[in-house]
Order: sequence, then structure tokens, then C-alpha cells
Amino acid sequence: MTLTRTHAAVLLVAIASAAVAAFSIHAQTQPQTPPQPSVPATAAPPSQVPQPLLRPTPPQPARAVIFLDPAHGGPEAGASLGNNVAEKDAVLAFAQRLRAALTSANFTVLATRDSELAAPLPTDQRAEAANRSHALACLVIHATASGSGVHLYTSTLPPAPATDTSNPSSPQDAATTPFTPIPWETAQASYVEQSRKLSDILKATLAKSSLPALAGSAPLRPLDNLMCPAVAIEIAPNSASISAAEPTYQQQIVVAVANALQLWRDQNTGAAR
Amino acid sequence: MIPRYQRILFWSLALAILLMAAFLLHGCQQAREKLNRQQNQTPLAAPADTPPQTVHLAMASDADGSITLSDRQLALPSDPSSRARALLAQLIAEYSYKNSAHPLASGPAISDVFLVDLPIKPAVSSNPAEHAAATSASPAASALPYTPGGQLAVINLSAAFVDHHPSGIEVESLTINSIVGTLFANFSRIEQVRFVVDGQPRDTLAGHADLTRTYQAINTATAGGAQ
Repeated sequence: MTLTRTHAAVLLVAIASAAVAAFSIHAQTQPQTPPQPSVPATAAPPSQVPQPLLRPTPPQPARAVIFLDPAHGGPEAGASLGNNVAEKDAVLAFAQRLRAALTSANFTVLATRDSELAAPLPTDQRAEAANRSHALACLVIHATASGSGVHLYTSTLPPAPATDTSNPSSPQDAATTPFTPIPWETAQASYVEQSRKLSDILKATLAKSSLPALAGSAPLRPLDNLMCPAVAIEIAPNSASISAAEPTYQQQIVVAVANALQLWRDQNTGAAR
Repeated sequence: MIPRYQRILFWSLALAILLMAAFLLHGCQQAREKLNRQQNQTPLAAPADTPPQTVHLAMASDADGSITLSDRQLALPSDPSSRARALLAQLIAEYSYKNSAHPLASGPAISDVFLVDLPIKPAVSSNPAEHAAATSASPAASALPYTPGGQLAVINLSAAFVDHHPSGIEVESLTINSIVGTLFANFSRIEQVRFVVDGQPRDTLAGHADLTRTYQAINTATAGGAQ
């Protein structure tokens, strides 16, 4: 006697029905528990806090976002670093190394490009992508064949006057606070102070790693358009024989920058608490 | 004994030489008189004997990213635009010297410098009421004094200079700050500086420093550059 297709279909339907019935019976026998809020709204007295049987896992904070902008790309090669190495390739290699280091340090890393571009990416589009990321820090990466060490640059904009409109004291204030548009050309003004602090941390960390660093301000796009603490990192040769594209030299800088960003994250999350 | 016909020939040739010499001298004199008659008699301006004066150049250094003011003795034209152009040409020329701290390619760099008067600004009064009246559109505002505004310097860079400029944030920023600082140190009326390349706007100097913005003329020796 051979099974026909009809017999096989009936058999499969019966097996599926039995599985569904068994799953529903198992679900009905489980105790119903109300959903627990992830963060208690108010601090209850210790005596009223129900003691869980298992040790709860601490709430995981949101991973800090670091935005990387390896400059140039596509037909826009940037500076020539010697030995037929273009700036666009050197900064892309540096960004990939930095991405790996930051990811291992529990950062979320976003970048304007992870590979070679077919067409040049305008600075306004780079700034737009960075502003959408709401990053803890934005790093614009460049390389050069002139000078020496690592150059750190922030925007040349003067700091904006301190007006705390982002945190109104009451919902009524929030409702009555008029919307003030932020000019694109001076979007960085509200973040200049933070950018300078980040630059100082980067400079100090690079100095600890025996890497010479200069810090200043420069008229560089898209720094003025970024709405995040933003620093441009320009990698210059370490010496006459070590160019900005040297892998070991780049790795030294990557380690120092990753350490500085961890310090920056600790300071900002500490301030938030 | 010289034959007679040879003596006659000799003296004839000597006489012909003298006649030709006299004819040439006469022709030269006539040509000189003709040129003198056709000469433009418009009086030329006598070259002014401008004495060398002390100017300040904001000199950049790639080693430490600094800009320091340095004094030079230069004889410059009296016209402000020509003066600014000559001053900046001297500044860029010094960067092309051997062992320069901020090496740039030699060659003409500054094609023109145009000084444009900025719009007249209302006088800022120390009295808040007067200041408010001055900023309003009331008829009383027109009665308040006005002070002349400053100048905008439009620097027309040559394309050859820009195309051969080294690429990098530091080296390009230093060039910009050096030019702006030199103008600030020598021209008190210049308040803003803009750059064009061969008369056309360009995004960056060599891929980094922004050339589309208007730079404020400030003392870059202390405020600009890497510290």
C-alpha cells in the first residue's frame, strides 16, 4: 500500500494542529505578570521595593554614537602624501582602523563613507548625515604631507550665547517657547565650547602617547555646519620617514583617539547623571 | 713711381668717401630732427621718490602652526590698492625663499587687490535711548551722526598660485591667516577680506581652507593659527 499525496497532506495538517494545541495549553498554564517598566518613575522606599528572586541586569545605556567623516573621495583625491598615496585613501584606512577600535569600545560608529566613492560627496551632505546621527562626537579626518604630528582643528565661529532652550523648565514653557531656526552656516556655534573641550582631551591623550599635537581653529567645511561636538583631525607625517599613511603610525593615533573618546563619553554620561 | 691715372683714381675715391660721409651725417641729423618733431611732448609724471617705510608682515610657520608679526623696510606705492597688492606680493615672495618656514611655490600670486567701501554704519551711541532711536526707522535716527564704515578687500589670487599651493588644513589656513593678518596690521580701514581666483569664486584654496566665506580682518598673530 502506498501513501498518496492526499494522505500525506492530511497527516501534515494533523501534526500541525496538534502542535498548535500543545503550545496554547502551555501558554495558558503560565502565571500572568504585569509588564515591568524599564525605569521606575519614582524612587520607592526600600521596604516597599519588591525583591526579585534573580539579580536584575542593569539597564543598558544607549550606545554612544561617533560620526566619522573621512574627507574627499571619488575624483576628489585631496593632498598627495607621496609614494603615490592620495589623502582620500589614507584617511579611509584611518577611519576603518578607528571604526574597529571604537566598536570594540562599545561605540556605535557611523561614517560618511566606508569605501571609495563614485562621485564626490559635497560637504553639505556630509554635515546633513552627521546632524541626523545625533552623535556624541563628530570627527572630520584629513591627512597632509606638510607639517608634523597630529593637527586638531575646531570651528572658527565664536561661541553662541548660552540660551538653554532645549530644556524648558515646564511643559508650558516648552509650548510657549518660540521656534528659532538654526542658521546652517553657523550651526556649530552652539557646540563650539564642547568642540574645544573635546579637542583639548584629544590633544592631552595624544601627548600621553608621545604623539605631537597642535590644536587650533580653521576655516574648514563642514565644521561650521555640524550640530555636534566636532573636531577635524589632520594627520601629518611623524617624521621625514614616517608618512601619514604609515599603518603603525595610524594605529598609534587610533588608540589615542579611542581612549580620548572613551574619556569624553565618561565625562558626558557623568554630567548627564 | 705711381702712375698718373692711379693718383687720379685714389683722389677720386677719397673725395667720394668724404662726400658719402657728409651725406650720412646730414641724413642722421635730418632723421634726428624728424624724430624730435614727432616726439610726444606730453609731460611725464616724475617718479615719486617714496622713502622706505616700516611695514608688518604676518609670517607663518608650518613647524608650530604659528603666525608672528615681522617688520620690513619697503618702498610702497601711495595708492591703497596698489600698496596692498605690493605688500601681499612681497609676503608671498618671502614664502618662496629657500629655507622658508612656510614654503610656497614661487611666481606671481596676487593678481589684484580691490578695496571696496562697506556700507555706512550708524554711529553707536552710549545712551541706550539714542541707540534704540538710531536703530529704529524714526525720523530722529536720521539726525544722529554716522561714521564711515570700513573697507572690504577683495583679493584676486592667480590660478597658478592656487593650483600649486600645498594641500592641507594647516598649510592652507596659515596662508589665509597670514594674508588677513598682514592686511590687518597695515590697513586700519580694512574690516573684511574675500578671495577670488582669477576673478572667479572658488570653494577652497587647495581642497581644505574655505574661500567662499568673508573673513574678518583680525590680528591673526594672536587669534589665529594653531597654538
